[in-house]
Formats: sequence, structure tokens, C-alpha cells
Amino acid sequence: MNKEQQVYEMLNKVYDPELDQPLTDLDFIDRTVITNDEVEVVFRLPTYWCSPNFAFIMAEDIRKYVSELNWVKKVKVRLIDHCASDEINQGVTNGRKFSDSFGNEAGGNLEEVRKTFEIKAFYGRQEKLIKHLLELGFSKETIRTLTMEELNKVELLEEGLDLKRRYLEKKMKLPESLYAFPTPEGELLTQEEFDAYLLNLKRTRLSMEFNGQYCRGLLEARYQLPSNKKSVKVQSL
Amino acid sequence: MYRTKDGEELFIIDGHIAAWDASKENRLNDYGLQFIDCFYDYHQISPEDYIWPRDKFYKYDANTLVNDVILNGYADMAIFQPVYLNEFYKNGFANFDVSDELLKKYPDRFIFNITTDPRLEERGLEEMEAMAKKYNPKGLKLYTADWYKDSKGYKLSDPWSKRYLEKCKELGIKNIHIHKGPTVRPLNRDAFDVADVDDAASFFPELNFIVEHVGLPRLEDFCWIAKQDKNIYGGLSVAIAFIHQRPRYFAEIISELLYWLGEDRITFGSDYAIWDPKWIIEKFVDFEIPADILKETGVTFDMNVKRKILADNIAKLYDIDIDAKREKLKHCNLTSKAVTTPLRV
Repeated sequence: MNKEQQVYEMLNKVYDPELDQPLTDLDFIDRTVITNDEVEVVFRLPTYWCSPNFAFIMAEDIRKYVSELNWVKKVKVRLIDHCASDEINQGVTNGRKFSDSFGNEAGGNLEEVRKTFEIKAFYGRQEKLIKHLLELGFSKETIRTLTMEELNKVELLEEGLDLKRRYLEKKMKLPESLYAFPTPEGELLTQEEFDAYLLNLKRTRLSMEFNGQYCRGLLEARYQLPSNKKSVKVQSL
Repeated sequence: MYRTKDGEELFIIDGHIAAWDASKENRLNDYGLQFIDCFYDYHQISPEDYIWPRDKFYKYDANTLVNDVILNGYADMAIFQPVYLNEFYKNGFANFDVSDELLKKYPDRFIFNITTDPRLEERGLEEMEAMAKKYNPKGLKLYTADWYKDSKGYKLSDPWSKRYLEKCKELGIKNIHIHKGPTVRPLNRDAFDVADVDDAASFFPELNFIVEHVGLPRLEDFCWIAKQDKNIYGGLSVAIAFIHQRPRYFAEIISELLYWLGEDRITFGSDYAIWDPKWIIEKFVDFEIPADILKETGVTFDMNVKRKILADNIAKLYDIDIDAKREKLKHCNLTSKAVTTPLRV
């Protein structure tokens, strides 16, 4: 793999926290400039006004993941066409925290926002896997009480394996549970609670997918990209 | 008035229109340009025939608005939802000259909601009183993402916001339209969070809170709070414009809204001039939710529901007697003009 491919490989790991999709899929990476051991990543967002906190999270993650390449000595992150470009670019490139980059306006760091959206991503991915299992003929009750051990024994094809891998990636970061489909707090749901919980999951997943469509549409308009270039697979409900 | 294929005449109230001036002469800085250009990007999801040249989009006059909204756009009535954006535009973003002209010419057609900003504190309360005298409004538009000095936005749960809502009660302003947009402050929180609306709606059960753009991009949180507070309504503006390019997503949204809020708390708005109401209404009246989505939520989306969304629901909020209004508007010179004048400009 050449250096540019290696950089893109790392950028595949950077997600828009709100949409739970990689920046590379969303077409947010404008370009990369590699000079010896220095990498500059130029990225763009659907509007000039996109929330600076999400933009900062993405910029931080770009820096973090690209820095993991052992030949990289310096990462410069450059967000273009944005109302907070200066603060974000200088802040992240110099390894400063969010609160230091925005001074009085920030009033704290981004950990809470990150956590909120980690949980939304957990919900979204959990819902997709549950839906897949329902389609395979598992009953809601079986799914509700399924243990991790049992989940790992379920024979899945490529699509199912991918959904499982993506789900467990998020589950791993939350309190441990013996059960495969607990709440984000790791608790087993009761039979009475489960239907309402599933509706909540669906609403969250739907909202993320809708926002994804929304953001893609705006990015296409803003940068005159061909429509639906990388349209995501629309999930049927 | 929209006549369906079956010959039914649908009365239509466009709950969200604007007259704005984002022309170069009125801009204070680059933010003013970026703001309207962002709107222009949103405008691009219109069908091709409805895309305006950029200059026309920056500023348009009263005639253009009447043509697009009333004569071509099928609306019998429309509600102005003005915003200030005084940090971006010299005389503000809302073009009060245009709305004043139309209110004077067609008082039966247009409703004007006043606007304010709780960060103006005492001064704002006085201004509200003066505006209430001038317009006798039943509604107020709040744009929580507006900038004011160093502040980049505010919440309905702020102490001054509460005083303002108290004032609304006093002045008989019972409909609070809130835009939950990209407030960038406080920056460390989720700026789209709708929890403050929940707070205000519980605190002021006698007021109605119409959340424009149905809380997008926080649809799920919006549905949740709207389920709990019966005085919260979903304004369809922005969401409804996706009916053209992303119909399946629109189907999913409308079916979720019908499921969580029911058919009595959803109101139509085109968000003119970002989008032309004509194509939105045509597509909405013909729209059907795909069977698999209907099956999942079990909601009904028939002409009766559409009629409620297009007029009945908001008519209740604004005490509009539709039958009486229909009669009255028969004598409005705008209606007859619609038959005789070629209107597309």
C-alpha cells in the first residue's frame, strides 16, 4: 500500500458522530497532501454552519488515527469553508483541547457529546442487527434473552456478520453484559419493556439515516457533486 | 385552494413563509452571504424547473411572493415567520416592507407573526408590546440560533426566555414557533437538543409550541417530547421538501410523526422562498406511504389526514373558521386573477 492508501485506510475509521458513517463514504475528505513524513488532511462539511463541536470531534479523530501510522511525524488538519475553520484548524493541528480552542464560548469539553452519540450509534447498530435476526425467523423473546455466547453461535452470512461486527464494536465500549441485546447500561430488558425499546431504537436509527441523506444532499448541492454518487442502501423498516 | 383529481377543494394555509432581503446592499459581512448561500444550497433540492437564479433568491418583491404563494402556490392563507439576524444584515434578514405591504393589501390572506429575542432583555419586552399593538399577533417566531453580540444562540429554558413567554401569555400570543437550528452555543453540548422545548411546554401548558422542521436533525428526540407534551406541534417545513428527491425518507418521517404525534398536531409549511409551495403541495396531495412502512406503523394517511395537515390543524391554532374564510375570500381580487393571468415569472 502506498502512503496515500495508508492514510485513507486510517481515514475510514473516522466517523461523523451524528451520522455514524465514515467521512470517506460521506465524501467529506476533500484531499490529502503528503510531504515526506507530514500529512495534511483537507476536509469539508455540508454547510458553513455545521456544528463546530461535531466538526472538532471529526478533526480530532482525523489527527488521532492518521498519527497512528508509524512513518507520520506531523498531521495537519484543515477544515475548509466553515464558520469556525480557524479555531478548529489551529486547535486540532496544535493538539489543543476544544475548550482551549474556543475560549469562553466552549465552557467544557466534548466528552459528553461524544458519549451521547456513541449511545445513539449503539442504538442504531443494535436495531439493524435485531431486525436482521427477526428476518431470519428469531422471535422477539428469543432475541431479548439471547446471551453473548448464544449470539456467537448463530450462523450468519456476510451481511449478518458485518452487522454483528459493527454492533459489537459499539457494545464493547459500554458496560459489560452477558446478554447480547441489553440497554446501553448493560441491563436486560423485561418482556413488557422490549416493544417500546425497539420503537425507540427504530426512531433513533431512522433519524440518523435521515440526517445522512440530508447531509449528502446538501454537500452535493454545495460542491456540485453528482447526485447519489454513493447513496447509502435505504433500509426498509 | 387546491382542487384534487376527485374534484375536492382543499383549503390551504401555508404556515411558514418569509419575505427576506439578503441582497448585497443589506449584508453586513461575510456571514450574511454565507447564510443566504446555505439557504440557496437547500433550495437546490427543488425540482429543476423551480430553481431560481441566485440574484432573485437574494431579494424578491411582494408581487413575486403573491404569485408564488397565493396565485401559483395554491395557498388561501399564509403566515409570515420573520427572523432578525441583525449581526448579519443591516436592516435584518426579514423584509418587513414586503410583509407590511402584503398585510395592508390582503389582510384576509396573510398573518404576521412577530419575532423577538430574549437576550434583548427589558428592551425586547417593550418592543414586543409595541409590535403586538401594531400587528395584533397570535403567534411569535423565535429563532434560537440567532447571534447576539458574543452569544451564538439561546434556549427556551433560559430565565429571560421564560419572562418572554410569560409576556406572550399576557399579550394573547399563544402560538410559539421555534426553529431548532444549528445553535452553536454552548458549543460543548449537543446544540440541536430539544430538551428546552420540553421544559417550556410543560411550564406553559396554555401556550402551543410549534417546532418548525419537526426538530430535524433530532427527529427522534422531538417525537419523544411531543408524545409527552400535548401542546407541542410539528411544523413540516424543510422535512416536506424532501418529498421530491428522497420520497421514501419523507414517507418514513411522516409515518413516524403520525405514529407519535397523531394527525392533529402536524402542520404544513413550505418555508418559502427556500422552496416553492406549488410543487410541494402537488406532490403532497398525491403522496402515498409505501405499504411496508404503513404496515410497520399502522398509521392512516388519507385525504382526511392531508386536509388536517394542510389547513385544519393550524386553523385551530389561529382561530380561523375555514368555511367563513372560504366565503369571504370569494370576493378577494387575488382569486379571480388566478384564473386569468399567466403567472409563472
